[in-house]
Amino acid sequence: MIDQIREQVKKVLKDLDGVVALRLTEQGTAPYLFQKADDLSQLVMEPRYPVSETTSKLQKRFKDAKIGIVARGCDTRALVEMAKRNQIDPTRLYIIGVSCSSELAEICHCAEPFPQIEQWPQAEIIGDPVPGAPPNPLVTKFENMPVNKRWEFWKAQFTKCIKCYGCRDICPVCFCEACALEDPLWVEPGLLVPDFPMYHLIKAMHMTTRCIACRQCETACPSGIPLTVLYDLIHSDVSELIGYKPGEDITANPPLSLTLADAPMESDLAY
Amino acid sequence: MDTIQLKKPFEPKVVAFLCNWCSYAGADNAGISRLQSPANILPIRVMCSGRVSPEMILRTFRSGADGVMVLGCHIGDCHYINANHRTVKRVPLLQNLLGYTGINPERLVLDWVSSAEAPKFAQVTTDFVAKIKQLGPIAKELGIDQKSTITSLPVEEVKA
Repeated sequence: MIDQIREQVKKVLKDLDGVVALRLTEQGTAPYLFQKADDLSQLVMEPRYPVSETTSKLQKRFKDAKIGIVARGCDTRALVEMAKRNQIDPTRLYIIGVSCSSELAEICHCAEPFPQIEQWPQAEIIGDPVPGAPPNPLVTKFENMPVNKRWEFWKAQFTKCIKCYGCRDICPVCFCEACALEDPLWVEPGLLVPDFPMYHLIKAMHMTTRCIACRQCETACPSGIPLTVLYDLIHSDVSELIGYKPGEDITANPPLSLTLADAPMESDLAY
Repeated sequence: MDTIQLKKPFEPKVVAFLCNWCSYAGADNAGISRLQSPANILPIRVMCSGRVSPEMILRTFRSGADGVMVLGCHIGDCHYINANHRTVKRVPLLQNLLGYTGINPERLVLDWVSSAEAPKFAQVTTDFVAKIKQLGPIAKELGIDQKSTITSLPVEEVKA
């Protein structure tokens, strides 16, 4: 499969200024802009790392460049959310979509381990899509938990936090220039463990209509906090209340900034 | 002989974000009409209920509030045409989020009170304070020192 990807990248590089993918060198693996002269044998897919942010930065820096991206399912979902927030220009982007293996889907509890390429002007897909994995068993366990037990669970988890901001830094849909988590008004500096409920609930609240369930925050967390349990729960609430699924439709605008006429919602208060 | 009650009954601290155009005027109207509303309410006037960000609500809880109310204009009556459409989507999501982390979601309430609805203001505030009294202090719910605020989880100060 990796040879197939390298072959394809080589082919599309004839028409593009570069392709963003992961490169493995002696220093480690990192996102890299492969250009015509580069050694494509260094292109890798593992470990999983979001390359959408790198692409966004390159597009903003080079206004005329046509850039390709080797993207997994989670990457394309992130690109959808970024495109509707003006972080990505779809007309200047070529997507080489890669389907994940069912083993990886299992690890990520991924419901959609393949890229949706229909809504992109220039895109193709490599590998056969595998069916999605079942949701995280912790989520179901959590839903049946009484409210006071939930607090015990999260207290134990959140006190492990070392406030490294790793979950925010790796998040492909966290791109605000002014971050609420860095504002001393909301998150007090110099406190470790970060104060509950500020840090984690602000992050979770900002994730409500953005989180594309890539599980990168969980992978990046040095303390192993199961953050996506919280995001998955709120995620299902958003689709239940407002009928919005992040990363699904590039034309659907974020519902929290729309009126009730544009994004209706079932509630006694919504009349 | 009757026992002397030494313990003071729990008086909750409730912060109410009132929209300048409807609910604040409604609260004012309730006062003028001599309608009783509990003294536990600490009103904060905001220009619109849509201005009340989740961060503000969370910080209010963090500062020791036992309950938070967000009161605004009815849908369609918003002074800023449709700003409260954002509030009506945001607050239920935050309520759910509070529920998921173990804070009783009933401690946060959203309602619409127009400037003419003085009896409704008295009603919702009285009901809410009664509800919070029944739920008890938030510190107790979270099993932390009752005197301190919600901040005082296992927190260490880092000295540079």
